[in-house]
Amino acid sequence: MKLLIVEDDKSLSRSINDYLKMEGHICEVALNLHEAIYKAADNKYDCIILDIGLPDGTGLDVIRQMKANKLSGGILIISAKSSLDDKLTGLNIGADDYLTKPFHFAELSARINSICRRNNFMGMNEIIFNEIRIRTEDNQVYINDKLLNLTKKEYDLLLFFVVNRNRIITKESLVEHLWGDNVILTDSFDFVYTHVKNLRKKIVASKGRNYIKCIYGFGYKFIDS
Amino acid sequence: MKLLTKSTFYFFLLSIMAIIVIGALLYLTIKRVIYKQVDNSLITEKTIIQDQIEQTALIPNFEASIGHQIEVRLLNYPLSNIQIIKDTVIFDPQQNSFAPFRYIFSSGNTVEKDGYIITILQSISEKNELLRFIELYLLFLFFSLLLISILINYLISKRLWRPFYTSVKNAECFEIQSDKPLHLPYTDIDEFKQLNKVFNNMTSKMRIDYLNLKEFNENAAHEIQTPLAIIRSKADLLMQQNNLNKNSISLLKSINEATARLSKLNQGLLLISKIDNQIFHEKKMVSLRKIVENNLENYKEIMLLKKIKVEIDAKDEALVEMNDVLADVLISNLLSNAVRFNVDSGFIKCQINYRFMIFTNSGLPLTTKPVDLFRRFHKGTDNPQSVGLGLSIVKKIADSYGILITYTNINTIHEVKLQYRN
Repeated sequence: MKLLIVEDDKSLSRSINDYLKMEGHICEVALNLHEAIYKAADNKYDCIILDIGLPDGTGLDVIRQMKANKLSGGILIISAKSSLDDKLTGLNIGADDYLTKPFHFAELSARINSICRRNNFMGMNEIIFNEIRIRTEDNQVYINDKLLNLTKKEYDLLLFFVVNRNRIITKESLVEHLWGDNVILTDSFDFVYTHVKNLRKKIVASKGRNYIKCIYGFGYKFIDS
Repeated sequence: MKLLTKSTFYFFLLSIMAIIVIGALLYLTIKRVIYKQVDNSLITEKTIIQDQIEQTALIPNFEASIGHQIEVRLLNYPLSNIQIIKDTVIFDPQQNSFAPFRYIFSSGNTVEKDGYIITILQSISEKNELLRFIELYLLFLFFSLLLISILINYLISKRLWRPFYTSVKNAECFEIQSDKPLHLPYTDIDEFKQLNKVFNNMTSKMRIDYLNLKEFNENAAHEIQTPLAIIRSKADLLMQQNNLNKNSISLLKSINEATARLSKLNQGLLLISKIDNQIFHEKKMVSLRKIVENNLENYKEIMLLKKIKVEIDAKDEALVEMNDVLADVLISNLLSNAVRFNVDSGFIKCQINYRFMIFTNSGLPLTTKPVDLFRRFHKGTDNPQSVGLGLSIVKKIADSYGILITYTNINTIHEVKLQYRN
């Protein structure tokens, strides 16, 4: 996918760029509003990762410009200011999602994927990974074309794993993904462990392969080995 | 004791003492004047008698009246000249009591060198009565004056001090969070004017400091977000490398944990500062019951794993006018606590009605006072992952909507009550 990263902090934008390139995306970086508007008008991006607080203006202007020029493409706001007003304004004028800094790359990746799936739903409402087929329109999972019965949390977990396959996913990012960031659960890592265990059991029981590897010290990796 | 009462009390006490002293002085002065008069008349009388005796050596005729006795004796031997004026008492058989008298005793010689003695007694009981009457009258006058002046003073003071009391009362109601300026009444008394000025300066300085601090907190929290995001992103990238050794993994693990904790902490502080800044000002009627049910759904699996039994006794939708985001934070924090600090095979009971909501859950007995739990950064557990902001956020939200929150712990039973209606 072709992505535009609008982030004024050079170090952060380079990290995002590196990670998303690793995921196989084609990325471009804009360090200020002027550059962002110029690039967004000239190229067609599948998704724009947009910081709101830019040195020469608010990132919201990029959204307004795009909507005025009827440019397609998803928009994911990343902002340090998790202020509700910015979030509501952003979503109201056409952004697809909102992510507060600091975020986990796995989460960023999952959000970008979800936005792109929703925007080009033609043939994109299914994610296929070997024998696993995830139908995102009705949250159903099939293994070898057999319906797998999962709880909502297990479904979220599997989708998160598949989208972030071949990447190390920390337990912290899993907790935040599953329970949201307002919740602070002390023994939540045990719960993550139990959820993963149950998910693995269900997949294996439906004659799927065990793709979830435990990575010492970090968390998990969904890998086709 | 109130200033007015105290000043009145001292005024009264000192005035009484002054009245006693002045009364005594007056008594003595008047007494002296009266005695002088009596003595003068005694001396005059004596002189008339003396003159007569000395010239004629005869005892003159005089009429004795009640309370007035004259006694003259002639002797056939000479005497020295003596004159004594003294008080005495004489027994009055008619009244069967002693009556006060003033008497003059005088001795001298006639031209024939014969001695004589003149004694004149004058009753002073009438004079004493007069003295007593004057004294009592004066005392009465003094006391009435004293009472009247106290009353006037009391009334005037009460009126004069009114702006002071109003100022103090208004200053007491001053709230640093609200934009309402401190309203102090107008006064033309310099001291109170000064006091009001000091009050005004102090409160405006306090408010400026408070706003600065608030702004600083908010900015600091915001500015920390980007560096945090950088640290996390770099750690994420580093983690994805394949050739990490055990040592690097353990270092990265620590970085990840610390970043997660710092990020949680910052989020909590940001949330508190946002509540303070009334970012969540939009209100609508929210059903607390629905929020509770949604949140319980979120923990369904965890509770199943911990074998926690959930019981909801909802008699009402519990509609409360508040911000929906904050209502969700409030309930989710309380419920996550109830789950977190629960024991295996424990229970959570939720009672909801029109007036209040009670969460009861099993857990370990508290080691600290329940009130302390609402304090910022207070940790009830030794768990390093807990940042100690959850309940202080809950308290902050409850306070901003006038919801009364109480925490009680009896042994292993914990109870949080939210009272939103009386």
